[in-house]
Amino acid sequence: MTSVIFIYTLTGLAQHSNSESWSQFRGPHGDGVSTEDLSQINWAETQPTRLWKKEIGPAFSELIVSEGVVFTMASEQTDSISGFEFVVAYEEDTGDELWRSNVDSIFIEIDGWGHGSRSTPTVDEFNIYSLSANGKLTANSKKDGSRIWQIDLIREFGSAVPRWGFSSSPIIVDDQLIMEVGGTDLRAFISFDKTNGDTIWTSSQGGASYNSPLVATIDGEEQIIFANGQTLFSFTSSGDTLWTYTLPFRGIIAMPVFIGPNKIFLSGIRNPGFIIVQIEENKATEATNGNSMKNDFSSCLYHNGYIYGFHVASLRCISAETGKVQWTKRGFGKGSLILVDNKLLILSDQGKLAITEASSDSYDEVLSIQTITGKSWTAPSFQNGKIYVRNLTEAACYSLK
Amino acid sequence: MKSVRCLLFVILSSICMSSIMYAQDIDELIAKHIDAHGGADQWEAIESMEIRGRFIAFSEEDDFYALKTNSGAYYSELHLGKHKVTEAFNGTSGWTIDPWHDFSFPRALNKTEVNVFSQKAEFFTPFYKWKERGFTVELLGKQTVDGIDVFAIKLSRPNGKSETWFLDANTYLEYKCESEWVDFGYGGPAESYFDDFRTVDGIVIPFFIERTFYQRNRMLQIEDIKFNVEVDEELFEFPRSNELKKLAFLEGEWDVKLDVWSRRGSWYRLDSTFSVILWESTNRLLEKIIYDRIYVQSKWINYSYSSSEKKYKIIVYNGFPSDFELFEGNFNDSTLIADQVFINGEDSTQQKAYSCIILRDMEGDSFVFEVKTTRDAGANWQPQDKFTYIRRKEVF
Repeated sequence: MTSVIFIYTLTGLAQHSNSESWSQFRGPHGDGVSTEDLSQINWAETQPTRLWKKEIGPAFSELIVSEGVVFTMASEQTDSISGFEFVVAYEEDTGDELWRSNVDSIFIEIDGWGHGSRSTPTVDEFNIYSLSANGKLTANSKKDGSRIWQIDLIREFGSAVPRWGFSSSPIIVDDQLIMEVGGTDLRAFISFDKTNGDTIWTSSQGGASYNSPLVATIDGEEQIIFANGQTLFSFTSSGDTLWTYTLPFRGIIAMPVFIGPNKIFLSGIRNPGFIIVQIEENKATEATNGNSMKNDFSSCLYHNGYIYGFHVASLRCISAETGKVQWTKRGFGKGSLILVDNKLLILSDQGKLAITEASSDSYDEVLSIQTITGKSWTAPSFQNGKIYVRNLTEAACYSLK
Repeated sequence: MKSVRCLLFVILSSICMSSIMYAQDIDELIAKHIDAHGGADQWEAIESMEIRGRFIAFSEEDDFYALKTNSGAYYSELHLGKHKVTEAFNGTSGWTIDPWHDFSFPRALNKTEVNVFSQKAEFFTPFYKWKERGFTVELLGKQTVDGIDVFAIKLSRPNGKSETWFLDANTYLEYKCESEWVDFGYGGPAESYFDDFRTVDGIVIPFFIERTFYQRNRMLQIEDIKFNVEVDEELFEFPRSNELKKLAFLEGEWDVKLDVWSRRGSWYRLDSTFSVILWESTNRLLEKIIYDRIYVQSKWINYSYSSSEKKYKIIVYNGFPSDFELFEGNFNDSTLIADQVFINGEDSTQQKAYSCIILRDMEGDSFVFEVKTTRDAGANWQPQDKFTYIRRKEVF
């Protein structure tokens, strides 16, 4: 029996050692990038094959993957104004549901743009941590979904539900669960002990926004960066403020993008469109700005000196030095994109998936496929050669192998 | 001196020649553009165009319908989220019902929207018959947009607004347009892109149009186009408010008898006069009436319906004392009862003495407009004035 378990464990290791885990919002490093090796794929002969597709219920949460299990958030409406949000686990290869756990009542979006969760959960070795759109931060066991702890951000910290619901995704730094809470009394950002939900540190004034924290190492120091209101904040993992910077726009939705070794790209829909902030000796200054990239809710990514992302509803590549437009490609609507081993995986807002070379020279598509249909505002995820996509109510898994 | 004259001649000739060549260039360019769309002769035969397709807004796809005429009229039905939006334009003015914008009733277009609807009403680009329509054009030169060689042309409309068109240098078809668009009533720059050109009955039309303004993104995929369909011109005109249609019979000329309530508890005739009631706009009936009630009373009575408050509103302006009164109410069976509402900071709920208007006995060619008063906050009502309206018959 012991040997069977050992063999299983080895098999599991072999299966999953190929890549870092897409275990949180925007992938292994929160930058929309996977380093998984795709060099063995013959793109001329490859067509993604659908492994599974299923109705999962309304939400915008990304699908994350850990140890052969796909996790996400979804919701179920019981009548026009009520229902619940849940964390759910599916078997990676089949999509079979393993468990689900209710975390909160459903967030109803009054204009009908989409009910349910917005935030993407994150996992560690044992637990999954999620934030409902109505502000319940919950830790569940990855194994069976049993609840470990839960905190009501509104009741505990005086947070207010943003117009479109709580959307920020938590991150794990060592033993801390760090997130934007938007609480009162200098509790905009809070670090929780991920084992029990106790508060470790709190900082700053600011309401709950639609942005999530970014982790970057600058000058050898790990920094937790938040874009909240009109301010960019940087903290050490122990909550000490390293620097702040007043942005030329407020309330950006798209994630800040780290441009190593010491720059941060931020983009919003309002002028100037984007700004690149440079950090030197814990002092932030503007490196450049421009209007060639205006992100709405879809985040950009950085690759080899260039920024790739959606300028409103046009896919663009711009120089990360000058903002010069390298190329523009329309037809994806307000889509989303990730990068896997020098390939851009682009999902249109109608569920069309295109794979292109991540080249600043031109848009060079290697394949495209209609994966799902209908409003698809959630960025794809990638793990073990599988692409995970979702629209508002459905999820699907495609294999590139 | 002779050499100076020669030099002047050469310079002036050069200027004239370049202007002539420039004019030829842009005329030739636009002619090629119209040819690329199927040619002027083909377009000359088009009186109307019906478009059906799919419209994507906020990443949600739904049906689209539009009707255009060669007189510049435009009508469309589209969806923004779960809301159906109706738009219409008669060539000079228009209206929209836009629940997405919180207008579930028709409202008139502002000047910015009129310019946008003028653009929407074009059969394709505004270059067809541009001279006859008073437009001016300026060739900005050859440029590259998204790696495509284009001719950039600035077009200015008689309303003072301008737009820049980028025509594909190879096909002469439109690739892009930069123009003023509108969002929630406010103007702002838009970029429109045209693609999927298809030929229908010899005429070339872009079946795909993508437009971005501010953070908005709209895509139209045309599925079917029909030419010279029958057009109901009523579509383009301001629709009348459904609620106010219940008072539509008021429109016309009326003989009016005025009776007042006597202290003895009976009506007695005080005056006979006439009244004219006009349907002034989509949601407004306006009455003008002059009568003697001791002194000459000159009144304008405005009937309207508030969709947001779900109440009929009657505003009575009396030119004699130069004051006005506001009444609000609803139908009770076939009788409209509207209580006086106090404004100027007075709390209506604290008033004990006020009036109400009752429109009753509405028969189509007759009705009664009665005024009652109360002195005990509506516990008891006392008749005051009774206007009996009889529709004036045409005399031949």
